[in-house]
Amino acid sequence: MSDELKSNISQPPDAGPTASRSTVPIWIILLTLLLLFLGAVYFDRHSGWFDKQVYAPYTSADELASYQPKSGEASMLAHGKAVYETYCGLCHGSDGLGKPAQAPPLAGSEWAAKDITSLARIPLAGLNGPIQVKGRDWNLSMAPMGASLSDADLAAVLTCIRESWGNKNGAVSADEVKAARAAISGHPPAAPNSPK
Amino acid sequence: MNKISKKSNSGEVDASLRVPLLALFGGAAFWLVVSSVLAMIASIKFHAPDFLANCPWLTYGRVQPAADDALLYGFCIPAGLGVALWLFAQLGRAPLRGAIVPVVAAKLWHLGVLVGLTGILSGNSTGFAWLEFPRAGSIILLFAYLLLALWAMMNFAARRERALFPSHWFLVAALFWFPWIYSTANLFLVAWPVRGVVQAIIGWWFAGNLLFVWLALVGIGTAFYFLPKFSGRPLQSYYLALFAFWTLILFGTWCGIPPGAPVPAWMPVLSSFAAVLTVVPVLAVAAIAWQTLCGSTNCEPKGGPFCFIRFGLMSFVLSSLMLIAMACPRISQVTEFTWFGPAQTQLQLYGFFAMTMFGAIYYLLPRAVGFELPFPKLARLQFWLSMFGVLLFIVPLAIGGVEQGMKLNNPNIAFMDATKAMLPFLRTSTIGLLLILLGNSLFALNIFAMTFVWEKSLVKKAFTVVTAPLEKPSASASLRRDQGEVKV
Ligand code: HEC
Repeated sequence: MSDELKSNISQPPDAGPTASRSTVPIWIILLTLLLLFLGAVYFDRHSGWFDKQVYAPYTSADELASYQPKSGEASMLAHGKAVYETYCGLCHGSDGLGKPAQAPPLAGSEWAAKDITSLARIPLAGLNGPIQVKGRDWNLSMAPMGASLSDADLAAVLTCIRESWGNKNGAVSADEVKAARAAISGHPPAAPNSPK
Repeated sequence: MNKISKKSNSGEVDASLRVPLLALFGGAAFWLVVSSVLAMIASIKFHAPDFLANCPWLTYGRVQPAADDALLYGFCIPAGLGVALWLFAQLGRAPLRGAIVPVVAAKLWHLGVLVGLTGILSGNSTGFAWLEFPRAGSIILLFAYLLLALWAMMNFAARRERALFPSHWFLVAALFWFPWIYSTANLFLVAWPVRGVVQAIIGWWFAGNLLFVWLALVGIGTAFYFLPKFSGRPLQSYYLALFAFWTLILFGTWCGIPPGAPVPAWMPVLSSFAAVLTVVPVLAVAAIAWQTLCGSTNCEPKGGPFCFIRFGLMSFVLSSLMLIAMACPRISQVTEFTWFGPAQTQLQLYGFFAMTMFGAIYYLLPRAVGFELPFPKLARLQFWLSMFGVLLFIVPLAIGGVEQGMKLNNPNIAFMDATKAMLPFLRTSTIGLLLILLGNSLFALNIFAMTFVWEKSLVKKAFTVVTAPLEKPSASASLRRDQGEVKV
């Protein structure tokens, strides 16, 4: 340990550091290019190209779309199925076969093949009295179970009835339901023979 | 440390830096010890959970971030700024003008750290990793940093040796980097917080830029100055160093968002992409160090300043590779949320940066103050303590972290079992922290003794001057010269 300031002691000069001017080695440039390429491939495969909807583990907007519910009739059917389970399935059954002494079947029913206004009339206004379904007699009564549904929901549920369990009677649009609703407004519940 | 070499201009340069450096390094040494004491307390809690549990100021959730921040803001940044000031003045052969400002700024910085740490320990942390300091502390820090950086830049602009050395680029970039990221992160997280997941993104961006980019800029810039000094060979080479610099700041900034982050996929993917590309600057630094040291004529005794810097460089390469590994989705699935992360951070902060700073400070402080180190043997002992300490901390935690991650991913292993299996690793890491604490104390001892010796010499000189017979002209001349030197 020293007790005095040594700043004025003359000492050999402290040369600054030097750097050689040799060029950047080629291997590191090649490595950079290779990594850039591999990185770009990785980005292309996994990033979803800046799509704000794409989160890991999904890797692209296309992949996400393939998991989305389908549009058009398929989505309407899926939606209708959900409404059916909530409002109608309890009596008519998830399989559309109806329940003895509770409700007649919808699968294969000629009622499901009627014109849209007549069909819509049943859930909108109810159905009372003796009817024939697939050759069997029923004499029960159904309340207007679908009266509170929106046009879109009722259209979906009617589409479901007309297009499921082997039925092939075509889809129903919300506009058609709207027209039917207007046509039957103020009419009494559907009577057994009135649809014909 | 064998010999103090100096030329007359260099002496003037050193003298102008004396007081600012002592102010920066003195406080840094103090916070270094504080940080390792806090880290010890936090680590002991793993073995004895009721240790100090009744004292709310010393619960784990406060002590752990306080220890981290004391190391980063208390030691690393002021030490880095001090070394940068000295390097600018040395490389540019220009004495620091108006040294009173950096002295005040250094005191202000350490005051900011005091305010910040008190804030954390009293429960007023902001809750963002590496930004825990409450608002008042951050404002003081930013202001102090700006003053120090401004003075460093003025000294840089006034350099007499106009040619630039690679260290210049790294250090100038670092001077600008910190205010940019620190103010941005504080504005968006603390002052006017952004909403939702953007907070996490800004937090990751900030931490990545501070811990990887800023520390690398300062640490590698410093190492590039010392490599040719110690090896006696020119740096290999200027252009490769430039290449390392640009690739580091180009790719380093994007790192930090972990692959498992719950944010749109392009962010972590881009972050992993950038992290893998930081292999390039890391390899460039390794190549520069390797080629410069090959055939080196250095015969420094073991444990001298250069050993610190060499160990720091090795830690830089290893910790960066660990960081890059953690950015790869496959590996991150195992290592995320395990002790692997803290091990990497410690290697980066302490193994790389702090060790590089120890080496630089042991080299430059005796030159700046004009005294040999008071306890050179203890400085060498510190090298071994710190080196084994950091190894005992990170090796078990890195290995244990991988094991922990595999156990956590295995549905047949209960969470408590996976956690308990970490205990032996944690015990070893506590021993590592103890060695680090001892090493840090030796560093502080040397710095404080140095300050003391210097202050004593001032008093002594003043005394001789006052008691000297008045008619001797040499005495008054020496008084004037001494005042010139001592005045700040
Ligand atoms: C409370 C039980 C019940 C619910 C719920 C119910 N129905 Fe009915 N449904 C009946 C009964 C009972 C009949 C037979 C009425 C009769 O005998 O006149 C019937 C008859 C029908 C018919 C004609 C006969 C057939 O099987 O083709 C249709 C169409 C029909 N329901 C559709 C619906 C739709 C659409 C819904 C949901 C909005 C629905 N029902 C909900 C009990 C129910």
